[in-house]
Amino acid sequence: MSGLAIIMFSGQAENFIPLAVLTQTAVNMNIPVRIFVTGTALPYFTKNKLEPRFSKEFEDMVPALMGGMKKLQMPSWYEILKEAKELGDVKIYACSLMAEVMGLKKEHLDEIVDDIVGAAFFMKESENMKVIFI
Amino acid sequence: MSEKHLVDARGMSCPGPITKLVKTYRIAKNGDIIEVLATDPGFIPDVKAWIEKTGNELLELKEEAGVIRAVIKVTAKK
Repeated sequence: MSGLAIIMFSGQAENFIPLAVLTQTAVNMNIPVRIFVTGTALPYFTKNKLEPRFSKEFEDMVPALMGGMKKLQMPSWYEILKEAKELGDVKIYACSLMAEVMGLKKEHLDEIVDDIVGAAFFMKESENMKVIFI
Repeated sequence: MSEKHLVDARGMSCPGPITKLVKTYRIAKNGDIIEVLATDPGFIPDVKAWIEKTGNELLELKEEAGVIRAVIKVTAKK
């Protein structure tokens, strides 16, 4: 597999779990990762350090999950992504359309975001990669 | 001179054990032995996949009393 490209659209907290886990796993397997952050996910990549909320569906599952998740003591999605960047070939891009709509510039974005790019750039970057939408 | 490394990933869930293995692998040299202990059942197929993808050698993979033990010989470093 020549690479994993992730279009991160969702702002739901439970969606940040596969974002982080799949990125870390790809790094572990020497697979490059390119993440395009757009949609309702973008606010959580700003310097504000906002935390996404779980959806109602996930909350309904929570009583069954809570015990299990507490036992695991997983690091946060942010910590997993940050570590993945340090360990392997991971680039995180913010969508220029969403950034413009939200009035965000590079200086407003968290340090793990490499650049603000358009869709054409991302499409070229990921052309030989497997693309998934989260 | 080959070294032996111990990676204790017991209590960690995916992707923890493989991540911990990779961090040790990064500092290991060809000829070194890495022993990994894990409790996550997913580690068994995961470590096999990692071995296949990276080209290192799996010397041993056993489970005893809920603890999985993998012994890896580092052979694929460039």
